[in-house]
Amino acid sequence: MKENRIQSYLHKLQRHLWLRGLADAETLAEVESHLLESVESGLRQGLSVEDAEQRTLERFGSVKIVARTFEKERKDGMQKLLLALAVLMGLFIAYVDSRPTWDDTGITVGTMLLGSGLITLLGYRRPWLIALAIGLWTPLYETYLSRNFSLPGVILFPLVILLITSVGAYAGWAIHLGIRNTFHLA
Amino acid sequence: MIGEALKGHLDLLLLAILAEGPAHGYAIIESLRSRSGSTFDLPEGTIYPALHRLESQGLLRSRWSEDSARRKRIYQLTPKGQQVLAKRQEEWKKFSKAINATVGI
Repeated sequence: MKENRIQSYLHKLQRHLWLRGLADAETLAEVESHLLESVESGLRQGLSVEDAEQRTLERFGSVKIVARTFEKERKDGMQKLLLALAVLMGLFIAYVDSRPTWDDTGITVGTMLLGSGLITLLGYRRPWLIALAIGLWTPLYETYLSRNFSLPGVILFPLVILLITSVGAYAGWAIHLGIRNTFHLA
Repeated sequence: MIGEALKGHLDLLLLAILAEGPAHGYAIIESLRSRSGSTFDLPEGTIYPALHRLESQGLLRSRWSEDSARRKRIYQLTPKGQQVLAKRQEEWKKFSKAINATVGI
């Protein structure tokens, strides 16, 4: 069944908010309630369903503008601090891993996994950015030092590292959301 | 122009509307539109982030109402919100008085 324009708008908004780490069920339910009420108001004024939906969406604003405003309003110093911490952590791990005396891959992987998980558990809203901020430096450093520009060195190794940090970051974020939903935190 | 100017005073307008009683987002926006004679006509979706921010600052609180056929999130001014509103209204009086005196209205 073809979804109507309101549902399509809500899906787009959900995707844009999710990419910004801002999607939550309450916000989307509130927006949906607003849009449906606005469409009903248009119908009461004699508009066709199509015109009422169009007017509603025009008045509400484009998905990009709305998502950007949500992001702007929720920006806080804590987010910047956590991102800076993730970059420092990634650089530190890359430095330690590059030392000739360091030969414990398990600890490196574990630190990446736990580090990325911890940052998103503390509330950083973009897990993919934390995965990059922590996981980018080790492969870069490795490639630079070893001058290994082969396919595994340039593509596969970074992908494996980013997979590890992504698992950690999304697991941390899932736990964070679980705690928020359980205790009904804003 | 009006939209840009409005952004700086949106908090005051939202708090003032809610000073008249609890309301959900759609009603707040309708009130903003009708009371301003459609002059204040921001994209409606940009009002919700401001309401959420005011709530996180403790100036508003919200609850979900199941009274009607549809669930609605009702916002209400907190005592802290009332204090901030009174302060902002005073500031606005001084500001608008000074502007009017300067431009000769």
